[in-house]
Amino acid sequence: MKIGTIITAAAILFTSLPALAGDSEHDPEALMKESHMAMFYAADDGISEVEMKIVNSKGKERVRQFAMLRLDVEEGGKQMYYTYFRKPHDVSRLTFMVHKLPQENDSRWLYIPSVDLIKRISSDDKGSSFVGSDFTYEDVSGRHWTEDTHTFVREDEYNGRGVYVIESKPVEKYKGFTRKITLIDRENHLVLREEYYKKGDSPERVFTAEKVETIDGIATSTFRRMENLKKNQYTTVEFSDIRYDVGIDESVFTERSLKNPPREYIR
Amino acid sequence: MRRFIEEFSIDHPWVIIIAVTVITIFFAAQLPGIKIDTDPENMLRADEPARLFDHEVKEEFAISDFIAVGVVSEDGAFNSRLLGNIHAIVEEISEIEGVVADDILSPSTVDDIRQDSDGVLTVSTLMEEPPDSDAEAKFILERIKGNPVLRGKLASDDGKAIALFIPIESKNMSQRIAGEIEEIIARHSSGEEYFIAGLPVAEDSFGAEMFRQMALSAPLAGLIIFLLLLFFFRNARIVIAPMIVAVASVIWTMGLLILTGNTVHIMSSMIPIFLIPIAVLNSIHIISEFHDEFQKYKHKKTTIRNTMLKLFTPMLFTSLTTVVGFASLAMTPIPPVRVFGIFVAFGIIVAWLLSITFNPAFAVLLSSRSLRNFGKSDESHRPLTIALHAIRNFNRKHYRAVLAASAVIILISAVGLKMIVVNDNPVKWFKSNHPLRVADVTLNEHLAGTYMNYLVLDGGEEDAMKDPETLRYIERLQRHLEQSPFVGAATGLPDIVKKVRFELFDSDPDKFAIPDSRREVAEELFLFEISGGDPGDLFKFVSQDYSKVNLWVQLNEGDNRSVMSVVESAEEFLSENPAPAKLEAAWAGLSYINIVWQEKMVTGLRAALLSSFAVVFVMMAFLFRSPLLGLISMLPLSITIMAIYGAIGFIGKPYDMPIAVLSSLTLGLSIDFAIHFIKRSRNIHRETGDFEKTYNEMFEGLGRAISRNVLVIAIGFVPMFFSTLVPYITVGSFFFAIMMVSGAVTMLLLPSIFIVLRKKLFPQAVAETEEIKIRKAS
Repeated sequence: MKIGTIITAAAILFTSLPALAGDSEHDPEALMKESHMAMFYAADDGISEVEMKIVNSKGKERVRQFAMLRLDVEEGGKQMYYTYFRKPHDVSRLTFMVHKLPQENDSRWLYIPSVDLIKRISSDDKGSSFVGSDFTYEDVSGRHWTEDTHTFVREDEYNGRGVYVIESKPVEKYKGFTRKITLIDRENHLVLREEYYKKGDSPERVFTAEKVETIDGIATSTFRRMENLKKNQYTTVEFSDIRYDVGIDESVFTERSLKNPPREYIR
Repeated sequence: MRRFIEEFSIDHPWVIIIAVTVITIFFAAQLPGIKIDTDPENMLRADEPARLFDHEVKEEFAISDFIAVGVVSEDGAFNSRLLGNIHAIVEEISEIEGVVADDILSPSTVDDIRQDSDGVLTVSTLMEEPPDSDAEAKFILERIKGNPVLRGKLASDDGKAIALFIPIESKNMSQRIAGEIEEIIARHSSGEEYFIAGLPVAEDSFGAEMFRQMALSAPLAGLIIFLLLLFFFRNARIVIAPMIVAVASVIWTMGLLILTGNTVHIMSSMIPIFLIPIAVLNSIHIISEFHDEFQKYKHKKTTIRNTMLKLFTPMLFTSLTTVVGFASLAMTPIPPVRVFGIFVAFGIIVAWLLSITFNPAFAVLLSSRSLRNFGKSDESHRPLTIALHAIRNFNRKHYRAVLAASAVIILISAVGLKMIVVNDNPVKWFKSNHPLRVADVTLNEHLAGTYMNYLVLDGGEEDAMKDPETLRYIERLQRHLEQSPFVGAATGLPDIVKKVRFELFDSDPDKFAIPDSRREVAEELFLFEISGGDPGDLFKFVSQDYSKVNLWVQLNEGDNRSVMSVVESAEEFLSENPAPAKLEAAWAGLSYINIVWQEKMVTGLRAALLSSFAVVFVMMAFLFRSPLLGLISMLPLSITIMAIYGAIGFIGKPYDMPIAVLSSLTLGLSIDFAIHFIKRSRNIHRETGDFEKTYNEMFEGLGRAISRNVLVIAIGFVPMFFSTLVPYITVGSFFFAIMMVSGAVTMLLLPSIFIVLRKKLFPQAVAETEEIKIRKAS
């Protein structure tokens, strides 16, 4: 089955090749990899404050605020995340940690302060909601480019920026989408817009990078939006106080610091 | 006025015929613009608070109406084969257009929170893949039983039944979707039996079935009425006229209804079946009189003039009283009932107008040859006349017994009236052997229930529902509600908190309770929200700002009476147990909506009936220029209503929507015979001047006209007894009963009263000659 799909993918790739023969700039696989690295593996580590707003169809919003630490153990490979919740107030000091291994299930831990308990939580489903928002875990930590087959569609303009438009289809049957259209910035390779389709011609979810800033010389999308058109709601995420290459020690990403947050990084 | 109409119709028959034809064609041209609406929710005004709140709740908690699909296997439903089938079936159902796939409640779509063997807390789909072994299948049952949110809802504790709840975007898709589900099931079932139930399917299917029945029963009743008329009058050309009058009144009425932009609702679809017999009534009187008199005059125009002279006033008043009965429905606060009442009233006026214009015009145009033998057969030896003579002689001898019997019937009926139970259930509009009824009974016997209703508790401020005291209070309310025999399950936020806490603390049974600290509640809810499940699932039970809780109250019976008792039980708890903090309770859900409109219907129709009763009495007193005769004329109507509704009380048939609406019909129709009888008896007496002669004459032409009407309408509705829909059977039975009872009361009780009061009502006088009479009338 897998070989079959790879052959199909290869066939698609080759049939589209003649037009773009020898055109490495338009190699969709390479572009998706580049953009994945730009979006999720910027520098070797990073710290930021995050404000997330989940806005329902009636315009009511739920706000969560947390500090987030990231360490890339291996570029494009293993990553570790540490999240310290500040809001909602009644869950402040709750902490959450993820060890991400591409192509494998993550490990996730949660610390519940009121009962002083660390609990491992399951990660079978990367397509499930990230902390109750319209983003999935996968949207936050990235979907590995080899899980889909990609086709270069065209070059285009988007909000005054030159973009590559790429269409992706999952190699194996996937709940998250059946088709995805990605608009990648030609210069910095950040994803500016991504549409997720399931049935029909209109997307069920749309990601947009609303604001891109250069921090420590690295282009970073600091305001992101995910719209769920089916549920008619959306989530925005705003990053602030971003610092790159802080030199976070791997020991921070252990169960011990779930109970005792690393004060040197989290005020 | 009367003279003008008659002379015009007689002198210019073609003008009448052409005018009627043109107008009928005009209204018939409107019919293709028909817009059908089968949603019983529209029994309430669009801005009715209960209805707005229901929509608000469904929007806020993202809840859809459900179709319930169930499978029952006596050997146990939890085996790998059956669960495999269910998995495949749900997969295909989720592809159906109009199904809210994300919100399907089924073993293969709902999330369950649990701790796996490594102590990892997992929120994941209960049955992601079909189980490989029966042991695995059994484990799924155990998990359902261990989750208070799923227990009873998805499976019966004995494992014999499994339920799937299919949310749909709109109620009026439910019949189509149910059909597609049936096809999918047929492809996957390996012998086990599936059932499809739920209020939306019942209501939607009823609407569709109703129109089918309508298309069948209205023409059928028309045909039988035609055949009976033919039997009585033996002249096809003559009896075609009342049929044309009936069909034209229906076309004018429905045409105007559509032209004015009204939708054809379940109620208004009944207009033809009500109008046809009412429209025919007047014509029967005319033909009957024409038939009995024609051989006397042997001249068309003279016979017509005489017939119309005798009948004009009684026909005007019988039509007006029926109009009053139906127009009174305009007072009810239920829009479809109002539309129904107003348009039936319009149709009756049309029918009256056509009866007094079209019938004479039509008769004038008939060739004299075709009328040669009309009414020639000797009536005195026909069974009808013989029967009427028997009644005449019986009454003369036993009038005291008739009066006594009437008094007894009134008393017994009063007892029956007291026993009337107001109740309705759209599912029970189908006969008990209908697949939807069978499914309803089977699923509700095994599972928590197919009637989903919602009790929303509003704490008024953000995070109010994270308070442990409030949660404990709500939990007590849930347990209180579940004590009702009609509540299969009351599920809510407390169940989720308890379940999360239980799993968090390694399945410690002591922890299966609401924690003491508000912060712990908040963190456990947050844990549920972030541990991988669909956050939307949580917000079907609590508002996103945690200010409101939505209790899912699942009922196993949709009878309004049962729903009412559950609502009352909640009120009782809330008033007897003060809440720890401010808490406002309000209901939503289709069953609840049904009790709201039933309440309006019952009170609205009671007011309509009483007021039209009063109006009719005033009209009668005016018509007979005598309050005493007015009172007497109300007797057949009162006894008919009491006897019919008393009988309903005794039989134990619930007083439901059709029965409530039919009270206006009963009132409008059962006065008719009394009007004819009294008015024409008085006319006869003016001719004879002698009571004995008058008395005998009552049972000739007048008696025959009334009896023919009774038989034609009553028998015309007999086929409706065999309808597949209960309300149709009810309507048919009512027409039958109204005709039989009011006919019998008129022919038995009124003559008996006349005998008693003969000195006052029928004084000896000089007989008026024909000439004086005609002069007076003009």
